[in-house]
Amino acid sequence: MLQRLLLIFLVVLGPLLGAAQTRTVTGTVFSAIDKAPLPGATVVVKGTTKGTATNAEGTFKLDVTDPSATTLVVSFIGMKPQEVAITTAPIRISLESASKEIDEVVVIAYGTGKKNSLTGSVSQIKGAELEDRQISSVSRGLQGQVAGVQSTAQSGQPGTDATIRIRGVGSINASSDPLYVVDGAPYTGSINAINPSDIESISVLKDAASSALYGSRGANGVIIITTKKGKGNGTNINARVSQGFSKRAVKDYAQVSTNDYFQMYWEALRNAGLTNGLSADAAAAYASSNVVSDLGINPYGTAYPTPVGLDGKIVPGAHPLWNDNWNNAMQRTGQRTQADVAISGTSDKARYYVSGGYLNDQGIYLGSGFKRYNVRTNLDLDAKKWLKVGINLAAAHSDQQAPPSEDSRSDNYVNYGRLMPSFYPIYQRNLTTGAYILDANGNKIFDYGAYRPSANNPNTNLVQTANIDLHNVNRDDVSARGFAEATIWDQLKFKTTYSADYTQRMTHDYTNPTLGFDAPIGGTVDRGSYRTFSWTFNNIFTYDKTFQEKHHISLLAGQEAYKYKFTFIDGNRSGFSLPGLTEPADASVLLGYTGYSDVFTLSSYLSRAEYDYKGKYFFSGSLRRDGSSRFSPSRRWGTFWSLGGSWKMTEENWLKSSKWLDLLTVRASYGAQGNDNLGSFYGYQALYVVNSNLGEGGTYRDTLANTNLKWETNLNLNVGVDWSMFNNRFGGTVEFFQRKSRDLLYQLPLAPSTGYPSIAQNIGALRNNGIDVTLRGVPVRTRDFQWSVDLNLTHYKNVVTSLPQKEIISGTKKLMVGHSIYDFYIREWAGVDPKTGAPLWYVTDPTTGNKTTTSNYSSGSLYYSGSALPDIYGGLTNTFTYRGISLSFLWAYSLGGKVLDQDYPQLMHTGNNPGRAWSEEMLNHWTPTNTNTNVPLLTTNNTNWTSTSTRFLYDASYARLKNVNLSYTLPKSLLDKAHLNTVTVYVTGENLITIYGHKGMDPEQAVAGVTYFRYPAIKSLSAGINLNF
Amino acid sequence: MKKNRYILTAILSVGLLASCSKSFLDQQPTNQVPEDQVFTTADNVETVINGTWAYAMETFFTYSVPGFTSILRASDAMGDDVAVTTKYGLRDAYTFVEMVDNTKNRVSAYWTILYKVIDNANSIIANVDKATGDDAQKARLKGQAYALRGWCYLTLASFYQFNPIVDPNAKAVPIYLTPTTPTTKGNPRATIKQVYDQAIADLLAAEPLVTGYNRGDASKKYKIDLNVVEGLLARAYLQTQQWTLAQQKAAAARNGYPLMAGADYLKGFSDVSNVEWIWGHPQTPNQSNASYNFHFLDVSDPGSYYYSFMADPFFKNYFDNGDVRTQLFDWDTLPSQEGYLRYKKFRFRDQTALIGDLVLMRTAEMVLIQAEAYARSGDAGNAALKLNELRSARGAYQYVQNTGSLIDTIMIERRKELWGEGFSLSDILRTNGTVVRKAFTSYTGGDSIIQVPRADGTFKAVKAKGHRTLRFPDGTVFTPQSKYYLFAIPLSEVQNNPSLNN
Repeated sequence: MLQRLLLIFLVVLGPLLGAAQTRTVTGTVFSAIDKAPLPGATVVVKGTTKGTATNAEGTFKLDVTDPSATTLVVSFIGMKPQEVAITTAPIRISLESASKEIDEVVVIAYGTGKKNSLTGSVSQIKGAELEDRQISSVSRGLQGQVAGVQSTAQSGQPGTDATIRIRGVGSINASSDPLYVVDGAPYTGSINAINPSDIESISVLKDAASSALYGSRGANGVIIITTKKGKGNGTNINARVSQGFSKRAVKDYAQVSTNDYFQMYWEALRNAGLTNGLSADAAAAYASSNVVSDLGINPYGTAYPTPVGLDGKIVPGAHPLWNDNWNNAMQRTGQRTQADVAISGTSDKARYYVSGGYLNDQGIYLGSGFKRYNVRTNLDLDAKKWLKVGINLAAAHSDQQAPPSEDSRSDNYVNYGRLMPSFYPIYQRNLTTGAYILDANGNKIFDYGAYRPSANNPNTNLVQTANIDLHNVNRDDVSARGFAEATIWDQLKFKTTYSADYTQRMTHDYTNPTLGFDAPIGGTVDRGSYRTFSWTFNNIFTYDKTFQEKHHISLLAGQEAYKYKFTFIDGNRSGFSLPGLTEPADASVLLGYTGYSDVFTLSSYLSRAEYDYKGKYFFSGSLRRDGSSRFSPSRRWGTFWSLGGSWKMTEENWLKSSKWLDLLTVRASYGAQGNDNLGSFYGYQALYVVNSNLGEGGTYRDTLANTNLKWETNLNLNVGVDWSMFNNRFGGTVEFFQRKSRDLLYQLPLAPSTGYPSIAQNIGALRNNGIDVTLRGVPVRTRDFQWSVDLNLTHYKNVVTSLPQKEIISGTKKLMVGHSIYDFYIREWAGVDPKTGAPLWYVTDPTTGNKTTTSNYSSGSLYYSGSALPDIYGGLTNTFTYRGISLSFLWAYSLGGKVLDQDYPQLMHTGNNPGRAWSEEMLNHWTPTNTNTNVPLLTTNNTNWTSTSTRFLYDASYARLKNVNLSYTLPKSLLDKAHLNTVTVYVTGENLITIYGHKGMDPEQAVAGVTYFRYPAIKSLSAGINLNF
Repeated sequence: MKKNRYILTAILSVGLLASCSKSFLDQQPTNQVPEDQVFTTADNVETVINGTWAYAMETFFTYSVPGFTSILRASDAMGDDVAVTTKYGLRDAYTFVEMVDNTKNRVSAYWTILYKVIDNANSIIANVDKATGDDAQKARLKGQAYALRGWCYLTLASFYQFNPIVDPNAKAVPIYLTPTTPTTKGNPRATIKQVYDQAIADLLAAEPLVTGYNRGDASKKYKIDLNVVEGLLARAYLQTQQWTLAQQKAAAARNGYPLMAGADYLKGFSDVSNVEWIWGHPQTPNQSNASYNFHFLDVSDPGSYYYSFMADPFFKNYFDNGDVRTQLFDWDTLPSQEGYLRYKKFRFRDQTALIGDLVLMRTAEMVLIQAEAYARSGDAGNAALKLNELRSARGAYQYVQNTGSLIDTIMIERRKELWGEGFSLSDILRTNGTVVRKAFTSYTGGDSIIQVPRADGTFKAVKAKGHRTLRFPDGTVFTPQSKYYLFAIPLSEVQNNPSLNN
């Protein structure tokens, strides 16, 4: 691929070689403060107007025809101009800040602003920081990068998104997901359809002042993704190729050997026999006699028909004839290939960016993967002096292979191998010798295990059928953003924007008619279509003016409408006429066909006013009104607002002269935002579900009405300070925040005897208090070497402050004033009874308060058992650069909090699920001689010991080397002849190191702290090359 | 120039104002319907009966709880004659660790199904009179709603408390007679006698309202008609020891439904068109969730996933030679189930679509109710007559009066005839009895080796397997009135109904 690209470039550009008779000066312009390349810096020959500007990578190439010229002048707005001598060797120019601060332009709601002039809290990530990351969804790139952003990538399935929480959890049942805005409009397409290479910047809006303008949907923060635009002079071509490999990030739970398994299962049978009243001898005989028949196979061969003796030990001489690892057989080394090309530039009245991308991210489990094809065109035109128009068009097609891996289905591809112990052969074996049985062609034959117990999926072999069956998700995303902006008078502008996102997701699940799970019914096929189309239409007036060079005002007012339509159809059939056919037309029995559509609308009016005095004092206010179709007509309108102010103290005379302090700003904001998303679009109505019975129409009562249902409101306070010192070598931001949510949208549990599990209500209030800290520094900076450090951390506390009743128990949590919504409320493990080996839980007598133990799980009391929320989380980045070499490490960490492992207990049964694999920890089970243990005695009776309790609650603290990147930018001297601007080669790794205590589980889990059958996270190692010319 | 921009702005402004119509924010679902539209006409109310029925029968909670009829599976798993294997499904009910435990999914699933049906029935009873349409249809719909509600309360009474003969004032389950509103709070547990009284009152209210209703051909056997109501009343009276009424209602229920021919007994109990079925739930390829019950019941079809309802080998001894039912016994020699005694009573009707109709009530049960009611009220002659009516239909020996206990004989005949149909635990509870399970071992206490004849004329020696759980999980022996027999009230009810124990 790479060679081909280079070849094309050389053919195209070859004739130009050697044409230059003049001196060609090349170089790169950096900002001295952060070593970031400066695009758009001006480079001119001193004393002339002849010059150029740096491109997006900060590089320039200038042909100097005047032989007498000796000096270049390099300048950039806000920087001190610098003079350098003309040489033919590449020049590196580092510009110092003119003022003492560097002010970054950041993307904010409905516009842009200067970071140090904002009253609100905004963090921005540059696209460059994501470019080399081996991530298939942008949402995965935020972890550890931004203070206040809690990101967990729960699934290793390629193409899946991470869960994002900004500054705590603002809702209980209503959605806590942030709003994604792409190029100015709320985005309802697939996050994984956006090519990270196309991203210019990602802004995270964290407080009211920055996000209240998105009022109705900004309650959980806003993530603004801005794609690249054409800039600089001329045309710039950028090509990137990378290739990588992936494996499981952490090893799966360790399992017992075949010998141990058989001895332990014997013990379980013997103990159950004793419970049934058998004598010790009779129980032992019963156990020896039933081990093989219960497990279905004798891996010791027919020579040992009773491999476990009456003493519970493997009989002398017997040894397993095979040891198969299903977990490994279900996995492979995944491969990842990515290639992107982008062409961008400007002409007199147009700026353009055109790109194409290809990604093939193969999963580590058989039959999983993600392929994506992207194109994007971003075009801005100055149509008239007073009229600007632009359109961004992006299209993506993706093919995802997504086998069941995140649910309790028996054909879950991850569980399938994990739960299958070593003594079930993958390929058919001779039961006397253990040798493979071969077919007529000498090939091994897959063993479908009709003899296996139900825990081991008899009559299936996913190792084979994973390559035959289909679990495909094909997705087409088209996203369009079009605008026209007219200057009406002076600084009064009118901008109208129409944005549309279209997603068509087509699923195709096929199980073959001859082998495995659905062979008895001749195979099945399911095709589902999920279409979403949403548009946003907004019309906004803006006015921006400075009076008397002191008073600067900026006003905004407008209207916005949003409509979302979802259409779903799904049909399934079974009974394929012929093998090899996979579509519904090929199957004979119609099993079902269904479909429906949903519409959700929002109508909004918004306004904002900003004022600053001499760039010193800043004030902002915003007001927005939203009507939502999710609420009844009398309750659907909500009003949201914000106020903010900041004071740039370093602009005051008494600080301006400070030698070491470059920037000091204090900021504060307060405001209200809304949340209407309780999951249902029609939550206020009493509704009957429409079903049918044997061809006759049916309905039944499903939801209770609550016409008083209204907006959930978030009141956000943000107080922050930004500073920068010692020539901007050290700096940071510290922010205190308080998020108060009231009228929480909640599915209030009802007594199920009323016929309803819950009713939608606005209940109570909760509060998130916290602090975000971002620190950056350059401890070492010499001519060639630099070490820079970026650290961010967030701490927050989540507390319920009001409830309509004393307590609400829901799942593994209990809501109560003074506690977090993610405080576990579960049974407390009291260990194993040393006398009997029975599992014990604590029970508190409600009248006396005495705490005792019980071996009866359901009579154990529920206790508060710690919170799922971490105490501190964040990221640490160290970057070392030496000339063209750069090495960076990004550690993401999360300290404190608990996680309830619900996957592990599957491997911790006491023998009540014969044939299911056993974890190594089960070796430590109770016996009369091993009484001091945390694992109870084995028995084929279910003792409930694996039921939810603090026994399986683990410390969730972890640190993960999220990304490590080593790159080398080739020296200019090597590149000139190829007419290349820059060439960077790199090696990058994701998730290479995980530091975590509970082995077998991946520490990145759901925010609520409960694991549930998931595709394990992956680690990957990749190498790539970036070319720019 | 300036003019242009004003014109453009004006056009856009008009456009945006036009787009803001009032109805923009009024949106309705397409797969749900607002309540006020449901009770407009009798035909619309008919959909609530149908929809509620489909909900009850077809709702999956987990694969081991495929709808209402899985309650019947639990009843048999907790009895004497089904030796449930270690396969997925009912194994924990069988070992008495599941239904006693209020945290279990099965416990909350049964409760949820029953009370969902009760609320929908309440809604029909309260609102059907307001609907327009044929009065006869409205009356019949109300009758069917009463019957549904009575059936649910009868089911609750059967499993959630000991029979009133133990203690009529023991607290059982809450009673609701009006549709739930947003302000409804949980009701307290009523006494077991009140719950039975409510069930009988509802069924009696239904009786006149469904009289004269003709539901149509066999494919409509899921609809409640007079025979079904009479059959439910017969059960209710039997459970409350009202023998004469039980006998009368059973006789009325079986009216028009003759006992099936012996050969039909071998056809798999999965076809609603069986002449003996009074009430059943048909299945089709596209309505087949309830069929999942057959994956536990069907022990011979290769498509059956779990085939876990094996017969206790002692159960075979109750049958006489020549009894058509004995033909269903077959010792298993397949690798994963070797040594189990299959009782091949239940088989998928369609083995490629894996569907089978569910039986809910049939004549043999009514005949046995008649026999038992006569016997318990002292009319041994009529009791023997009814018992022998069934025995002749099955090709079994006739009962000769005064040979052994008549009542015991009838109770054993119930187990033989109704195996797998859901009466085991409810019969133990209504008779204040106990579970009886014995290990199937040789006389020395070792393995019991059975020589199984195979189709090719050879014999295979297999280790016979019977009951694997012979005691309660705490190691105590089976006794009457054990807490392990009762279905627990789910934890979510305990947590969210403060009045529950008032």
